[in-house]
Amino acid sequence: MATASLQQQPPSLTFPRPIFAAVSPHPFLQAHLSANKKIPVRANGRSAYEFRRSGINTGSLTHANGSAVVRLGNTSVVCGVRAEILMEEDVPGTNDFPPPRTDGEDEEDDTQEIDTLRLIVPNIELSTGSTPSHIPGNAPSTFQQSLITRIRSLLLSTRLLRAADLRILYKPSSNPEDPDEEPETIVKAYWVLYIDVFFISIDGSEFDAAFLSILAALRDTRLPYAYFDEEYEGILCSDAPSEAKRLRLRGLPIPSTFAVFEGKSEDAGEQDFEWVLSDPDAFEEGVCRESVCVVVDGSRGDVVVRRIEKSGGGVVGREHLRGVVGMAGKRWSEVEKALSGSG
Amino acid sequence: MNTDRRRNNAPAGGTTAPVFARTIREPGYLQSLRPSRSRGLNELRRIFLQTSIIPSASGSAYLEIPSSSAPVTLTLIPPTSSLKITASVQGPKPLPRSAPFSPSLLLTTTVKFAPFATRNRRGYIRDTTERDLGVHLETALRGVIIGERWPKSGVEVVVTILEGDEDGWWGDSGSEGSASGSGWGLLNVLAGCITVVSAAITDAGIDCVDVVTGGVAAIARTSDSGNSKVVARLLDPCPAEHKEIVAACAVAYLASRDEITEIWMKGDCGQDTDALTEGATHSAVGSLAVVKEVLLEALQAKFQGQLEASEGSLKRKVGDVDMTG
Repeated sequence: MATASLQQQPPSLTFPRPIFAAVSPHPFLQAHLSANKKIPVRANGRSAYEFRRSGINTGSLTHANGSAVVRLGNTSVVCGVRAEILMEEDVPGTNDFPPPRTDGEDEEDDTQEIDTLRLIVPNIELSTGSTPSHIPGNAPSTFQQSLITRIRSLLLSTRLLRAADLRILYKPSSNPEDPDEEPETIVKAYWVLYIDVFFISIDGSEFDAAFLSILAALRDTRLPYAYFDEEYEGILCSDAPSEAKRLRLRGLPIPSTFAVFEGKSEDAGEQDFEWVLSDPDAFEEGVCRESVCVVVDGSRGDVVVRRIEKSGGGVVGREHLRGVVGMAGKRWSEVEKALSGSG
Repeated sequence: MNTDRRRNNAPAGGTTAPVFARTIREPGYLQSLRPSRSRGLNELRRIFLQTSIIPSASGSAYLEIPSSSAPVTLTLIPPTSSLKITASVQGPKPLPRSAPFSPSLLLTTTVKFAPFATRNRRGYIRDTTERDLGVHLETALRGVIIGERWPKSGVEVVVTILEGDEDGWWGDSGSEGSASGSGWGLLNVLAGCITVVSAAITDAGIDCVDVVTGGVAAIARTSDSGNSKVVARLLDPCPAEHKEIVAACAVAYLASRDEITEIWMKGDCGQDTDALTEGATHSAVGSLAVVKEVLLEALQAKFQGQLEASEGSLKRKVGDVDMTG
């Protein structure tokens, strides 16, 4: 192959794939994506719009009321939901919530009750050796804190949980003020759901994986039948599985994360150098600046957008966003199947 | 209640675990749930072990020891838990420039229980038990790793306990047995940690003098013969299955060198310390068989994968992306 003209040049250097990826990640991914113009293939072998398959297992933890293990490629998380009881008299201050409805109708706005009383306590742990960048012994990183905040706000803003499921009601046998009147049903205590998400392994799309595991665990959660016992003067629970009830979740919001890869052109003439990559892995997250997270819910027939988070750049405009929402909608039905298939 | 401003906190009023009505109303019902040992005295529980579960770590492993008692479907009260541990090894990597010179590998071990690991919910900040376990684990590993081969480097061993063995049967807690010492479950957890970390370290390719494994033996009072004085030595005890454990011992054992790098003994073992230690080493040899099998399988799979990859890359060479320059 060597001709006389080539011999004057320095010998060409060739690196194997892993070293190419480590030394210059950005050109590495760009070379992969631009190799095939029609169907861009990423470094991990997926096409640009391909999501990783989600594997969901529920009910594997002994000491949790509901639990789930979720795998998205190499990202794997364990989520445990544990319910404990908060007595009404332990709630500080006075709250003025609308009285509980006993007719079984859906309540208009109970998010404020869940929020102020802190009836859901989601937390996340990344420092489990799941990634080299989160080493235990340090305080939770900014990333971890923002992840927790995003998850909590999404749980609250989608009104996923019903306060009616979490109240423990009590109807006294007689009205203490007026024995002739019908006694009033009062809230004696609340169930508090501790939602703990432990990352076993991290390879991108942490938010998707964490929220999926929470959804799966909440769908798996069974709360025992609890009642106020006058003799015991406290809340007692029945341990019969037939009396336990599941949480009635409102809808099924499923997040999908996308990353935008901006190519650097060597000659200025070329155009169209952005790729929207769905469900990015850790390597792709490292080289992409802009990311979009779309939360959609298709449980009522049409796909409804529940939340859009976008940061880091200005590539995704109206047109892109339309496509992104469409992909998120397609993914919703796939994930929904996986969730219902898990039991 | 102290608040952690970096996490979501529980309601300020505090919460309590649910109390089940039948456990306080019907004493007989409680006793009917008590698990009992169905294995022989020298029979170990089955071990499930898998390596390379975390691709971004240099070595990792997952260990599960399923509970031997049958799953209960008639009650919501959680049954005896099984042991589930993940271990991740990050490194060896160079120490930061600010760190003083170290002629050998700096080993850091962190053990953390998940909040849902035990019957009582645990917090996120490491408590003394977890620190203690970390120190024990570090001692066990320090004697195995050939640290001189990595000067100026450090390795992080992170162990997460997703589910831990219990200290005793939950029905007994508070009423009896508290005086005879507790923390029997911790010995099992430590032995499991040692075994799983050993597999993870081998997976990471860190040179060791031998494969270290953990084992537990205990002396328990058996009550079924009517005479409460009868004591028996048993291997791999599940504390919930025994009414009264007198003494227990966990070791980290190097089978081919016949060495013990860590020993943790609790309780009143009387004159019989040697027998107890020996029992623990027998138990460790049992888990060694599993570890060896798993490591061999992982190695075979790795070489098989490499062979196929090299064959595949010959064909794929044309389409592959190479960096030239």
